[in-house]
Amino acid sequence: MASDKFGRDEWVAQIDARRAAPPGVAGQVLARWNALPLGWRWIGVLASFAAIPFLTSNDYLIRVAGTVALFATLSLGLNVVVGYAGLLDLGFVAFYGLGAYAYALLSSGKFDIHWPSWVTLVFIGVLGLAFGVLLGLPSLRLLGDYLAIVTLGFGLVFVQLAITMDRVEVPWHAGPIDVTGGSNGLINLDPLRLFGLDFGEPLTLFGYALSSVALYFYALLAALAVVLLVIYHLNQSRIGRAWRAMREDSLAAEAMGMPTKRLKLLAFACGSAIAGVSGGIFAAWQHSVFPLNFSTDLLITLYAMMVLGGLGSLPGVVIGAGILAVIPELLRSPELARVAFYSAVVLGVALFLRPRRNGLIVLAGVILLGLILRLATQTLWPDLLSPPTITVAAESVSTAFERTAQTFGIIVQKWIILPMEPTPPGNVAFLVLLPALLAWARLQPSRLKLGLLAPLLYLLAFVWETRLTAEPAVTRLLLIGTLLVVLMIFRPHGLLGTKRVELV
Amino acid sequence: MEQFLAQLPQQLINGLTLGSVYALIALGYSMVYGILQLLNFAHGDVYMIGAYIGFGVMTAFLPASGPLPLPALVIILLMFLAAMLGCGLLGIGIEWFAYRPLRNAPRLAPLISALGTSILIQNAVQLTLTAAYHTYRTDKLIPITAGIDLGPARLSAVRALVIVSAIVLMIVLTYLVRRTQFGRAMRAVALDREAAAMMGVNVDRIIVLTFFLGSALAGAAGVLNGLVFSRVWHTMGFNAGLKGFTAAVVGGIGNIPGAMLGGMVLGLVESFAVGFISPTFKESITFFALILFLLIRPRGLLGATAVQKV
Repeated sequence: MASDKFGRDEWVAQIDARRAAPPGVAGQVLARWNALPLGWRWIGVLASFAAIPFLTSNDYLIRVAGTVALFATLSLGLNVVVGYAGLLDLGFVAFYGLGAYAYALLSSGKFDIHWPSWVTLVFIGVLGLAFGVLLGLPSLRLLGDYLAIVTLGFGLVFVQLAITMDRVEVPWHAGPIDVTGGSNGLINLDPLRLFGLDFGEPLTLFGYALSSVALYFYALLAALAVVLLVIYHLNQSRIGRAWRAMREDSLAAEAMGMPTKRLKLLAFACGSAIAGVSGGIFAAWQHSVFPLNFSTDLLITLYAMMVLGGLGSLPGVVIGAGILAVIPELLRSPELARVAFYSAVVLGVALFLRPRRNGLIVLAGVILLGLILRLATQTLWPDLLSPPTITVAAESVSTAFERTAQTFGIIVQKWIILPMEPTPPGNVAFLVLLPALLAWARLQPSRLKLGLLAPLLYLLAFVWETRLTAEPAVTRLLLIGTLLVVLMIFRPHGLLGTKRVELV
Repeated sequence: MEQFLAQLPQQLINGLTLGSVYALIALGYSMVYGILQLLNFAHGDVYMIGAYIGFGVMTAFLPASGPLPLPALVIILLMFLAAMLGCGLLGIGIEWFAYRPLRNAPRLAPLISALGTSILIQNAVQLTLTAAYHTYRTDKLIPITAGIDLGPARLSAVRALVIVSAIVLMIVLTYLVRRTQFGRAMRAVALDREAAAMMGVNVDRIIVLTFFLGSALAGAAGVLNGLVFSRVWHTMGFNAGLKGFTAAVVGGIGNIPGAMLGGMVLGLVESFAVGFISPTFKESITFFALILFLLIRPRGLLGATAVQKV
């Protein structure tokens, strides 16, 4: 090992060893990729992303790609505030909502205002900046935690105002005015019109027909590219260095003569402006805004994206956004979700259990346990079991992959105990599973821990089949919550973030 | 003005009821913050779990018809005990799983972990108990008509119970913190964790006990809230947690009498906002009150102007 050398710090050597390319073909490809200049790498990623509408004419897929771009832009904006400047901003989504509502009010029949799109977008950006400064000013004087709670309150108040501002009483007008449309939101917004291009109409380019969804996808991708460029250069500049210094130690940074208050406000305002403009594009894309588009769920999703990829790491944040934006789409179809779930479990066991033999033993144990339990139930209480609930509908199942997924589902449902009335036992199993998993995670590595894994995995599969597939929205948030906690405990720097040494 | 004066006593009572609940939540926040400098975002959800445990005990003891199997006061006492014990244990579990591994991590890590815990608890409840409202049948335990007429205002028996039990809990807590060995150890840890450890205080045990106490108080607050306002649902903790924290900040975070005072002040502000301005903008008014307050007195009502040590 390199750590034998004199004058070399063991810790530095360990980091170097970790940075060296992993062996094998994948490692070589990775090394080649990393050798490319940074700009080319980003252009490569964005270009392959941009090719999606030419590869598929399926609007649904393009919409998912657009969501990825939107979430990536948003998490990058959040990353400026949280990742670079180290300010815990929990009202980020409110700025996003502010942008969306501003766009909705300025380009719809609500008050019959139809500003040109570029004016609206610039206005929204300035609005975001202004509100960021306004909200930041009182809270930045205080300790960091106050900022968290004040911004969280701002987010909450924003949603409540959006819901309740459909009956605003003003002195100069008889009767209440409907500003935000309450929980029904604002609908029929104007499409984005930029550079003489109407994003609401399909466009034919070199013989390719680009749908409206694809055009919005390009708008979102362009926004992502611009934000990436700006943030990258901002981070390399004096300001970026000052932000990082401030994040590590605000007091020391101030002692070195950095105007910390102004820097914090700048980061805050930057994030808010990015959120606002993204919100404007989002509103145009969706043709409507609703208060619940801007709930805390979105905030938490954004945090999970940022944290998963790695705080302060640009590629990490984009990858995190990609992963977490695609997961809910996978969960949408129960058959697909089942395949994804079991593959994730098998992969997780195979990758994380060392030696590899143990992984195989555990997986075999789970399958065997399931068969035994199923047989026992079948002979003792056959009335309790329900036949597989998946029915084969020929017209809806088109591709070979979907057919395989369905067959897999039927096999799984024949393997696991599927009760006639799945909800109550599923709930009980879930309530047992949660503390059991937590306790298991804190056990010291031992034979007992390995042995307990098989029944736990079986229980997990049982809960999945009985409860989690039935409620994809809840499942998604449960996964995100678990991800946040587990990630913070085991890898607080995320997938691609760099580990920071905490000076005390 | 006359209308204002006529409404004032009733709004005072409403504000004190609301304030008692907020104060109990704020205490948990403040104690944990004082000892770990950690914002426990999951605290509001512990409160929600407390409300659900109280609800469960209540439904278990209420017969479909006929007389109560036990005296009403005993049932209420059981609800409190179950909720406080359950929430205390939950608090210990949260500390053990989500915060203890992060004791020396960068500041942001435990905050995000707390956020994740909060989401986890909320959705676990939604999965098992659905997103529907659950309603406390307080009227079966305490008749709605019971109460004292105080001229223009009316103090119903439920509200009296809430205020009295909150005050009793606070007195017990004050005694614990001021007069017992545990309290002294807790204050020592809050002042300087390392120095306390060197003096032989078992810091981990004190932290666990603090979480237990704070969460138990939140559980009691959940039951109180359920008794007065009846409705319980899975995201109720979010809003309440925010209010509890606001109360803790108003009182001066980390300061125990401050949290009590802050809760009462916040409850009064909120009920006045509802009664005299507009119920629609209730949340916004409390929120702007918080910002204004932070501008004028950033350390809170009773908080000391501490100098940051380097």
